[in-house]
Amino acid sequence: MESSAKVDVPAVDMRGIVKRFPGVLANDHVDLTVYEGEVHALLGENGAGKSTLMNILSGLYQPDEGEIRVRGERVSFGSPKDAIRQGIGMIHQHFMLVPSFSVAENIMLGMDEPRFLLDPQKIEGTVRELSERYNLDVDPSSKIWQLSVGEQQRVEVLKMLYRGATILIMDEPTAVLTPQEVEDLFQTLRGMAKSGHTIIFISHKLDEVLAIADRITVLRRGRLEAAGVEASSVTKKELAHLMVGREVLFRIEKKPAKAGEVVMEVEDLQAEDDKGLPALKGVSLQVRSGEILGLAGVAGNGQRELAQAICGLRPVMGGVVRVHGKEVTNAAPVVLIKEGVAYIPEDRHGVGSVPNLSVAENLALRNYRWPPIGNGWRINRVALRKQAVELVQTFDIVTPSIDTPSRLLSGGNLQKMILARELSGDPRVVIAVHPTRGLDVGATEAVHRLLLQERDQGAGVLLISEDLDEILSLADRIAVIYEGQIMSVVDAEDADIEELGLQMAGTRVGAGAEKGEA
Amino acid sequence: MSTGTEGLVSGNPGPRSWRVKIERRLEQPRWLMWISPIILILAALAVGAVLLSIVGVDPRLAYSRIFSAAFGTPAGWLRGEIYPLSDTTVKATPLILTGVGVALAFRMRMWNIGAEGQLFIGAWATTGVALHLLSPETSPWIMIPAMMLAGFLGGALYGAIPGVLKAWLNVNEIITTLMLNYVAIFFNNYFIYGPWALRGFGLSPRFPRNAWLPRLMDLSDRFPIFRGLTAHLGILFGVAAVVVVWYILKYTKWGYEIRVIGDNPEAARYAGMNLKRNIVLVMMVSGGLAGLAGMSELSGVVHLLQERFSPGYGFTAIIIAWLAKLNPWGVILVSYLFGGLLVGGDQIQPFGIVQMLNGIILFVVIGGELLLQYRVRILRPERIVERAAEASGS
Amino acid sequence: MQSKKLWLVLGLLTIIALLIAACGGAAETPAAGGEEGGAAPAETEEAPAGGEATPAEETGGVSIPEPEEGMFNVAFVYVGPIGDAGWTYAHNEGREYLEANVEGVHTVYLESIPEGADADRVMRGLARKGFDAIIATSFGFQFGMPEIAAEYPDVAFLHVSGFLKNDTNFGNLFGAMEQAKYVAGMIAGARAKEDGSNRVGFIAPWPIAEVIRLGNALTMGVRETCPECEVDIRWIFTWFDPDKEIQAAQSLLDAGATVVVTGADTPGPVQAAGERGLWGIAYDSDTSCSAAPESCLTVPYWNWGVAYAQFAEEVKAGTWQPSDWYMGAEEGIVGVLGITKGEFPDAVPDWVIPLAQEKWDKMTSGEITRFDLFTGPIYDNKGNLVVPEGVTLTQEDLEGLDQATIDSFGLDREACTICMNWLVEGFVPDAQIPAMPEG
Repeated sequence: MESSAKVDVPAVDMRGIVKRFPGVLANDHVDLTVYEGEVHALLGENGAGKSTLMNILSGLYQPDEGEIRVRGERVSFGSPKDAIRQGIGMIHQHFMLVPSFSVAENIMLGMDEPRFLLDPQKIEGTVRELSERYNLDVDPSSKIWQLSVGEQQRVEVLKMLYRGATILIMDEPTAVLTPQEVEDLFQTLRGMAKSGHTIIFISHKLDEVLAIADRITVLRRGRLEAAGVEASSVTKKELAHLMVGREVLFRIEKKPAKAGEVVMEVEDLQAEDDKGLPALKGVSLQVRSGEILGLAGVAGNGQRELAQAICGLRPVMGGVVRVHGKEVTNAAPVVLIKEGVAYIPEDRHGVGSVPNLSVAENLALRNYRWPPIGNGWRINRVALRKQAVELVQTFDIVTPSIDTPSRLLSGGNLQKMILARELSGDPRVVIAVHPTRGLDVGATEAVHRLLLQERDQGAGVLLISEDLDEILSLADRIAVIYEGQIMSVVDAEDADIEELGLQMAGTRVGAGAEKGEA
Repeated sequence: MSTGTEGLVSGNPGPRSWRVKIERRLEQPRWLMWISPIILILAALAVGAVLLSIVGVDPRLAYSRIFSAAFGTPAGWLRGEIYPLSDTTVKATPLILTGVGVALAFRMRMWNIGAEGQLFIGAWATTGVALHLLSPETSPWIMIPAMMLAGFLGGALYGAIPGVLKAWLNVNEIITTLMLNYVAIFFNNYFIYGPWALRGFGLSPRFPRNAWLPRLMDLSDRFPIFRGLTAHLGILFGVAAVVVVWYILKYTKWGYEIRVIGDNPEAARYAGMNLKRNIVLVMMVSGGLAGLAGMSELSGVVHLLQERFSPGYGFTAIIIAWLAKLNPWGVILVSYLFGGLLVGGDQIQPFGIVQMLNGIILFVVIGGELLLQYRVRILRPERIVERAAEASGS
Repeated sequence: MQSKKLWLVLGLLTIIALLIAACGGAAETPAAGGEEGGAAPAETEEAPAGGEATPAEETGGVSIPEPEEGMFNVAFVYVGPIGDAGWTYAHNEGREYLEANVEGVHTVYLESIPEGADADRVMRGLARKGFDAIIATSFGFQFGMPEIAAEYPDVAFLHVSGFLKNDTNFGNLFGAMEQAKYVAGMIAGARAKEDGSNRVGFIAPWPIAEVIRLGNALTMGVRETCPECEVDIRWIFTWFDPDKEIQAAQSLLDAGATVVVTGADTPGPVQAAGERGLWGIAYDSDTSCSAAPESCLTVPYWNWGVAYAQFAEEVKAGTWQPSDWYMGAEEGIVGVLGITKGEFPDAVPDWVIPLAQEKWDKMTSGEITRFDLFTGPIYDNKGNLVVPEGVTLTQEDLEGLDQATIDSFGLDREACTICMNWLVEGFVPDAQIPAMPEG
């Protein structure tokens, strides 16, 4: 872990890397140069080849062409173990931890040493020491399942540090974190860079990249667009252009809202989370037709439970849900579908789609019961396919065919598929939960356009997002949720970013009643 | 780019040596999916051939005997010797019915490994109707449908038990269906040694003629070629069940729901599907088909209830369903293969040899199925050129 | 997700493979009851306790059962493996006897054939292949045979241990094992008397007429040489289960018996007695004693070969007439080791040998038939007179053939009047015939 850096020799130097997958050229002669002690961002849209390139560097894949040098020395990795020997460790988006093991046990997992006898005390000590040194606050003896996502990520980082990694690759580390956790992570990363570690940071989020990176390399469709640009010398707009290949409008053009009557309301809603703890403590909200109500809040404050409780997927313990004035509290999900409530769930893979069924069949998930697709007890496959062809075209879903299993779609196209399904039936209420999370700029734009279009057609939209920028640019009114309670509801025009931020952290503004820490 | 690939690494990890890398296939190619069972069966036969030669049997002779006993020979067919096909059909019939039932449940990820028990209860209910509920003089036009109904309902209700337990109490269906097999077998024993016993033989009395499913041999007056052929109407139940299950899965709302629930229950809930009802329903149909297999076996072949009328059809059905990739049509094909193996197996004595051969085939086919999900790549030192070699093992 | 599912499925398949294997073994064990063959030894892969009884050359290596041109071809269908050292083993000895003693006969066998549909299929296949005669040796095999025999009128079918037949080409065969059991009982009684225990133990497989008849014959033999002796009994509800048989033997010995007579198929009980320095009497085959020759007083055994040879000769000559063929000591279908073959071990008291020999001679000369053994007055073990003075049981009485069975199979026979469902005097007074197993 000595940082006896020879300034000229890059920590990592990848040259002319080519990687093919069946039918795809994932990396097409890509170069990447990373210097010791820097935070280097690898920027690109989903599918640009970032993860592939880093999987090559971490030994998971072998390149078809090209060479890799680590600190000037030519290397070739047959497995992640080879890479870690050279001090290269990768932290994947999906953590590779055993939930029932403790932090220390997970850190030891897969290590060659010790071979037989474990000394948990000693390992816990070492882990504790590491976590203190790098400000990675986590208790080595607690079990993984007890930890938050952010803490689990820290365990992954510790795991790599414990193995002597000096070059850390992080694959979209912020995708799963709350804004606060993101800030903590960034501080940790800066500290580690300062102490000589090299960090490669994969992301498609421009703001983040600009906030954390020293230098930036941009990939687009497997090719190199910009190599090692100084972060201080580019603008967000330039980066977006490099990444997407065209001009990107960050401003969303929207007409003023024509809000009508209340289409959906919840009154004093109470519900529990998966562990049986109160998650909603009396939430009251009204959504009117022709408006977008943005619900801001840090993830985990009851947003998920609220959406599920409205849609009949989570038992309501108290309070009322009404759609168009009709009470639908604790109604079966199918009732909500009949009432025209569209639900865009936060988990596209786990809830929103059926991975091994075709795009066409996924598109029918909402309306298979009724004509023209449902026909008595049968399914009209001709109608099902016809609908799919139409929706794929209308919603610009990029898929090899309507028979392709939906799991093969990219995140953006999967989300478009879900939106196509949910919005095509002319819903009166749309509940969208983190609809653009994990999507690249282009897909995000498309989703935003679609939500606005729904609003303009008279639907009431409840937009639940932790991305304050998104809410500010889309919503007509903004509510803030904190620990299962609504802190305030304001018109978007009157919203003050500072105030919203404080409320998201639990501070009641105006009323003077402080709650929680600032 | 989806990158879920985790490689298993073997060989010397040093950077300067040759190495073999085994990695998970990202996507099973379609051709491989269809051809893999054939490759695997051929591979199993090859392994079996080696073993046969070790114990001193000429594998070509043994295989040709097994094959001609199971399916006949073209020359034999021309001579009108179709009895091997008839014999194999008799064996395949219960396998198809139980196999397609199991496949249906597996499609919804209901791991019903209780087909054996459901088959026994179906057979028991059939016997009750044939021997005790209806008089022996009842017309076959009433008798047979009544027995079919009883068999199906018996299996269906027995299948519903683990279904209900799963749906409302979330009791693991693997455990319950497995255990209920034994309950069914002992329940059956109670009746054949107790209330329905014939002189303590562990047998029920014979079914009246009107309770027998028609067999090919019944037509031998008009078609002498059918003399002694025991294939019975049950095979049509099997084919009909396949058609129905295939149609359900592909063209009905219920089938659509089954496939959605099987692939992602969360999405199914989200789409407003009733999971509890579907779990119970699918277990009932799956169990009902196994019960119908019991009815067909008793009414078509055994003509009485005995302790060992099934040599484990319900268990074999699980492997059949799996090898058929849960495709109903595939179940017919695989059932005939297994039926042929059972029929042809008598051609070699002692019996242990055949059991060993069956074991090898199962082992290779199931183990190979796993291997086919991976591919082997050989990496040369230095220049890291990769070569994809199919891990087909043959 | 994917791989988790994969493992789940693989795990399942493994469990199932094991289940199938387990069922293949265990399931046949209880066996469909019935007369002897009913389930005889069950097809299990384990070698039976007396492994020595299965010499490699006798298994004949691997074979493909085919008829031979120009020969008289006889096929045997067995329910168990030929290496069971019991029921099937004895039949296979009979097959070898047939091949060795009748000119121009070629025999094949198929072992471990489950009763029911599979057996039917196998027999049809053999008939099609052109075998001249087919012999099936398990009780449950008989039910499909009338139909198959009608389909193949040129093939002679012989079933062992059943009661079905037709007028042209399907007959059944059984033998008076009760005679050999009686003589074995005399020897057991003498030994128990010498030991001063006055107690003999009997292991009874199933509560069916055949087992009861043999147990009664045994007990009457015991009482002849040892009037003060009592016979204890254990019901094990299986023909073939080495563990259960040994447990039953130990239980009998614990209760004071010094001689254990088994009615089941393995020599385990004899070995169990031998381990305590006590005595046993085996069953089924003349080699059944070889596992523990010193402690095995004798074995009443089957000698099927004589019947098979006669059957083959008659069929070849065209003189065979199907019947309810019941052979006895006279014809030599049963034997007693030490008398008909081999020597008694030292443990058999000298004084009983002439008595046993004399009894056996009367049986082989026809002076004492099986009916003579069951002639009144006979009391049961509760003191009731079952067979009055001067009354002799009929064949149907001995077989316990009741009206229900006769009706069910349309047999042309009388129903039993004093059906074989009582234990003879000499069994311990509290001994009872249990109901068929609870499940």
